[in-house]
Amino acid sequence: MPVHDLGYRKWSGARADQFLRPLVIARGGVALIMKRRWLRMLLVLAWLPVMLPALGIFAFEFSSTEPDMQRMIVSTVSGPLGRPDLGALILADMESARHEVWSTLILAYFRYPQLFAMVGLIGLIAPLLISYDLRTKAYLMYFSRPLTPTQYIVGKSAVIWFFLAVVATVPALLLYVIGVLLSPDLSVITQTWDIPLRILAASVVLMLPTTTLAVVYSSLTAESRYATFAWFATWAMGFVAYQFLTFTTAAMSGQRPPRRRRGPVNWEEYGVDLDRWRLLSPYHTLGKVEAWVFGLDTTAASVVPAIGVLAGITVIGFWIVHRRIVARLSV
Amino acid sequence: MTGLLGPNGSGKSTLIKALLGLLHTHAGNGRVLDFKWPRDTKAIRDSIGYLPEDDCYIAGLEGIESVSLMAQLSGLAGREGLRRSHEMMDFCGFGEERYREVESYSTGMRQKLKFAQALVHDPPLLILDEPTTGLDPDQRMAMLRRIRTLATRHGKSVILSTHILPDVKTVCDHVVILVGGTVRVIDTLENLSRPVEPTMHVSVIGDHAALARRVSSEGHRVDWHPKTATLRIGGIDPDQTQRLWTWAAETETAIRRMEPAVNSLEQIFIEVASGALTAGIDADPSLNPVEVVRARS
Repeated sequence: MPVHDLGYRKWSGARADQFLRPLVIARGGVALIMKRRWLRMLLVLAWLPVMLPALGIFAFEFSSTEPDMQRMIVSTVSGPLGRPDLGALILADMESARHEVWSTLILAYFRYPQLFAMVGLIGLIAPLLISYDLRTKAYLMYFSRPLTPTQYIVGKSAVIWFFLAVVATVPALLLYVIGVLLSPDLSVITQTWDIPLRILAASVVLMLPTTTLAVVYSSLTAESRYATFAWFATWAMGFVAYQFLTFTTAAMSGQRPPRRRRGPVNWEEYGVDLDRWRLLSPYHTLGKVEAWVFGLDTTAASVVPAIGVLAGITVIGFWIVHRRIVARLSV
Repeated sequence: MTGLLGPNGSGKSTLIKALLGLLHTHAGNGRVLDFKWPRDTKAIRDSIGYLPEDDCYIAGLEGIESVSLMAQLSGLAGREGLRRSHEMMDFCGFGEERYREVESYSTGMRQKLKFAQALVHDPPLLILDEPTTGLDPDQRMAMLRRIRTLATRHGKSVILSTHILPDVKTVCDHVVILVGGTVRVIDTLENLSRPVEPTMHVSVIGDHAALARRVSSEGHRVDWHPKTATLRIGGIDPDQTQRLWTWAAETETAIRRMEPAVNSLEQIFIEVASGALTAGIDADPSLNPVEVVRARS
C-alpha cells in the first residue's frame, strides 16, 4: 500500500495533439529496444566503419599541403580503387576533385558497411515490433487510444528509421562536417553544399523500402523468428541469385573472366551486364539507386526500374501491413 | 452502471469494438457521449477507457512504463503522464511490483494493469470487458469496489461486459442482454428483478393445507413447493402481508418465514437466451438492431 494513496482523482490537464501520438509509439519503441545491451553494443560497432572514410577525407585534405600524400592518394585511387580518371583529376585540380572524392567515400560508406549493418540491425529489431504486438495482442492497447492503423505503422517504422539514422545518416553527415573542418577554408561548402542533401536522399532511399519490407514480415507472423528468417533470407537469396545469374550467364556466353589485376574489375568492359538481374537483389537495387543519388552511377541501365521496384515495395508493403492490422482488429 | 450480458457469440465484444471504431460498420449511427458515432470514433476513443477482455500487454515494458505509455498515447505530457500513472497504479493496488516487467505479472495483476491503463486519462466512460477474469475472490471484490466507487463518487459511466452474473448484481443499475446480435432486454436491474405478478414466498410450521385453502378461497393463486417447503402465493404485494398474517391466524397456521419473490438474474438470463423473454425494448424499437454494428469481416 503506498504511503500517499490519493485514491482516484479527476484529471483535466491539456492534451497533446493527436498527430504527435505516433511519436509516442516511436519513442516507446526506441526506449524498449535500447534496453537491450546487445543492441547498444551493435550500435557502437556499426559506428566503427566510419573511421575508414573519415581517414580518407583526412588524407585527401592533408594532401593539399603534402605532395607525398597526394601521390599516395592518386596511386591508391587509380590502382586499388580502379578510378584512374579521378586520380588524374586530383593531380590536375584538387579543388574540382573534392566533391567527387567526398561523394565517393560517403557512397562507399553507405554502400558497403552500412548496408550490411542495416540488414543486420533491422533483422534484429523489426521482428520485435509488430510480431511481438501480435503475439501479446498489444495492438488492442494501442488502438484503444485515438490512433489510426497508419499512425501505428508510422510510429513503429519510426523506431527503425531512428536506428538507421543513427548508424547511417548521422555518421555520414558527420563525415561531411569533418571534411569541411579539415578543408583549407569554409569556401568548400559552396562546392559541396549538395552532399548533405544527397546523404539525406540516400537515407530516405535506404530507410523507406527496407523498413516497410521488415515491417511487412513482422506483421505476417506472431513468431518473430520467422520474420527474422524471412528478412535475412530475402537479402541473402537475392544477393546470391544476382551474383549467380549475372556472372554465370556471362561465363556461359563465352565471356571469360579477366585476368587477375589490382583494384576492382570493370565487368562491363568484359561484356557482363550488371543490370540485367539487378532487380532480383534488394542489395544491388538499393546500391544502384544510392549511387544515382550521389551522381556516381557507372552502369549503363536506367535507374528508373530500380526506383520503381523500391517504390513498389514501399507502397505494396504499407498496404499489406495496413490490411493485416485492420484484419487483426476485426477478430 | 450498465451490465452488458449475453451468451457466447452474442456480439458483446463486437458491439464494444464497433463503438470504439475498431470495426467497420455496414450501416447505422448514434451518439456516444457527445460525439457522433461512427463519424467521430477517434474522439470517442479519446474519451473512453477500454479494458479489453484479452490478455494483452506490451512486451518488455515495466508495469509503470505500460501505464505511462498509454497516458502519453492519450495526450498526457511525459512527466504528467508518469505522475498520473503512479496515481492510478496506487489506486489499483500496485506496490513495488509496478517496476517489474509485465511478462512476469500474474493474470490478476495484468487485469489490474489494464484497469489502470483504462483510467489513466480520466475518461468519462469506461468500457470494461470481463474485468474480474483471473482475479482471486479478494481482488475481485476490490475491483468491483473500485468500479462502484468510480461510478458513484466520480460520476463515471460504466459499461460492464461480463459472464459473471453476481458481478453485475453487485455493481450494475441497468442491464442490457444481447442475443444473436440483437438487444433482447434493456431495463433496470430493479425492474427485472420484480416478478410480473407480485408474489410472496411463505414457509410454515406444520400442515400448510388449511392456509393454502384459505388463501385460495380469496381468489389468489397458490402453489406448494415441497423441495423448499414453501407456499408461493400470487397477487399479494409486500405491503399487504397483514392479510397473510390474518389468514394464518384464522387457520391456526404458524408462519416461519415470509419474503417477496424476486427474479434471479440467472433465471432472466437463461430465459432471454432461450428466447422466452424480452423486456424494455418494445417502447423504443430503434434500440433493437444491434447487427448494424456487426463487423464487415
